[in-house]
Amino acid sequence: MTLSINQVTKRYQDFVAVNNLTFTIEKGEIFGLIGQNGAGKTTTFRMILDLQETTEGTIIWNGTPINSINRDILGYLPEERGIFPSMTVEDQLYFFGELRGKHRKELKKEVDYWINRFELEEKRKAKAETLSKGNQQKVQLIASFIHKPEFLILDEPFSGLDPVNMDLLKNAILELKNNGTTILFSSHQMDNVEELCDHLCLLKRGVSLFSGNLLDLKKQYGKTKLTIRTDIPQDVLGKLNGVKDIQVGKDQYILTLEDESFAQSIFDFVSDGKYIEKFSLDYLTLDEIFKDKVGGPNV
Amino acid sequence: MSKFWLLVKQLYTQKVKAKSFIFSIVLYVAVISGVMFWSDIKEAFFQDEPLQIAVLNETDAEIESFFESTSDIDFSFPTETITEVEKQVIDGDYAAAVFIRDQDNSLAAEIATFEPLTFNDQLSISSTLQYASKIYEVQQLNLTAQQAEKILQSETIISTKNLNVESASGKSEDEKAAGIGASFLVGFLIYSFVMTFLSMITTDVASEKGSRVLEVLLASVKPSTHFMAKLTGTFLLALTQIGALLVIQGLLFMFIDGGSKWDMVVDIANELSFSYIGYAVSFLLLTIILYLILGALLGSLVSKVEESGQAMMPAMMVGIIGFYVLISGMASPDTMLIKVFSYIPFTSGMVMPLRIGATDIASVEPIVAMLVLIGTVILMFLLSLSFYKRSVLTYSSGGIIQKIKTVLKVTT
Repeated sequence: MTLSINQVTKRYQDFVAVNNLTFTIEKGEIFGLIGQNGAGKTTTFRMILDLQETTEGTIIWNGTPINSINRDILGYLPEERGIFPSMTVEDQLYFFGELRGKHRKELKKEVDYWINRFELEEKRKAKAETLSKGNQQKVQLIASFIHKPEFLILDEPFSGLDPVNMDLLKNAILELKNNGTTILFSSHQMDNVEELCDHLCLLKRGVSLFSGNLLDLKKQYGKTKLTIRTDIPQDVLGKLNGVKDIQVGKDQYILTLEDESFAQSIFDFVSDGKYIEKFSLDYLTLDEIFKDKVGGPNV
Repeated sequence: MSKFWLLVKQLYTQKVKAKSFIFSIVLYVAVISGVMFWSDIKEAFFQDEPLQIAVLNETDAEIESFFESTSDIDFSFPTETITEVEKQVIDGDYAAAVFIRDQDNSLAAEIATFEPLTFNDQLSISSTLQYASKIYEVQQLNLTAQQAEKILQSETIISTKNLNVESASGKSEDEKAAGIGASFLVGFLIYSFVMTFLSMITTDVASEKGSRVLEVLLASVKPSTHFMAKLTGTFLLALTQIGALLVIQGLLFMFIDGGSKWDMVVDIANELSFSYIGYAVSFLLLTIILYLILGALLGSLVSKVEESGQAMMPAMMVGIIGFYVLISGMASPDTMLIKVFSYIPFTSGMVMPLRIGATDIASVEPIVAMLVLIGTVILMFLLSLSFYKRSVLTYSSGGIIQKIKTVLKVTT
């Protein structure tokens, strides 16, 4: 076990920002912390980073309280971006690397590699204030892990990135994971969380609604999402046994079943022993589970 | 390099290369040089020709010798009639005409102008006339030349004797005049540096906080290290500016105009005691440190850089008050107002050097003011450090009081 959050509560007088939160992150895994705005994600990050004290509970890194560890093993990208406007891209990366205890010589290889990887070679000597918003974000991202941290916290790393840069970042995160970095990140984009995370914690108003393996979460809901492409009218499909809800897509129907056991009888009815173009039974997407969990009266 | 020095270096190198920093040094040099070389500048740019003044003497006395022409005013004694001279004044041949006649054995003078004279020109003509009037009256008494000379040159010999063994020995008038001049310079420098560097540190902390780069920094270093680095970096910038100013200004004084201004500075410095210079430098540095501590604290309170102006306004007001009290003391440095403000830590740096240099105060007074200032610096440092840790990551809206309340609310 690498990071262990044990019954952590953060209270501001009469307001509870995080309530009795517990989860663990194993070494080299990517862990997603998801929740709406104000769910307590940033407060949790700040407590892990020792920027704020916990009101109750403990945060342990490899058996040591987090506020006693060497801070240089941590990397952090805050939600709202900020870099030194009048510093060049290169100087910025060296500065943050050195601040995390690395020597300039050690950093040179890393700086060159990541500048090249994130296609910033032409901007190497440019002042940060002259860069586009997307490029500024890339610089700050690199700055958060230029020192090869053991534990990296990324607060909304994908916001504001275009699809090409989003892919660049995803690949970089996977590369860091493969090199042994433990990563904790938050995102509103559930498809990214689903794609990258091994485990996650779902927060609502400071309370954990679920914490654990993503597949376990999906299994709680079962395979109840059925996508069909057929000529059978909507009203006929809607009246089939076990169909809770039906939505019409562009050229397909999306059925929500009461239980996955109804899928076989629906398949038999729709295909009638003939070829069928599309019949797909899936788990709910994380986005759908998220909307169900945080939208419903779970707390 | 330790994290502390990395932060100091980052702040220092970023600011020292900034155009605004270099420009402010140039501005200081320009202002001080402008004041010191004013007469030369005035001569070079504003007045090529001396003012032409016609003097018409209607008395029997020989008074022409009393009106000595200078580089500013050229007196001439036309023999034309009053009407003709007045016409010449209207035509612009003369800036003014002075008609002098006898009135009950005294001189009476009438100054005729077409364009009004400047205050300074009018003042110097008046004083020349006053002097002429004295000589005229002495002449009317039929005294011998020696007697007249003695009356005109008479001057009371004044010396001071200090009967209070506790207080410093009395200062001569020259020493006091030098003290006033040097104190104004010290006060002006403290005021300017305080305003410049208070603004710099407040804006710097506020901009790091507003841009959230502070969160990244504080994930790596303790708030106390960040606070100390900000103070040290900005203080080093202040020392750099003071040093640059002294060197550039010193070189200018030494090499322009054959070093005459340098001699003047040396003369003033010779009139000042070592203890005065020691106090002035200590007050200068301590006051800058005090305002820097306050500036860092105010910067940590705001949520974004746009609010930093509003946050530092109270500190700036105190600085401005101190400066105006200093100016009020230039004419009379012994008032109660000056005494009170010479003990208040935020203003003592500007006011106490004036009292030390220009008045005979007990030696214990500046020591007390210095101790109060040192005590306040230490107290402010400890309070600010404790508060900084709590305020630097707290974001809130409203005025400064509201922000302080929010910090206390969310961190206690």
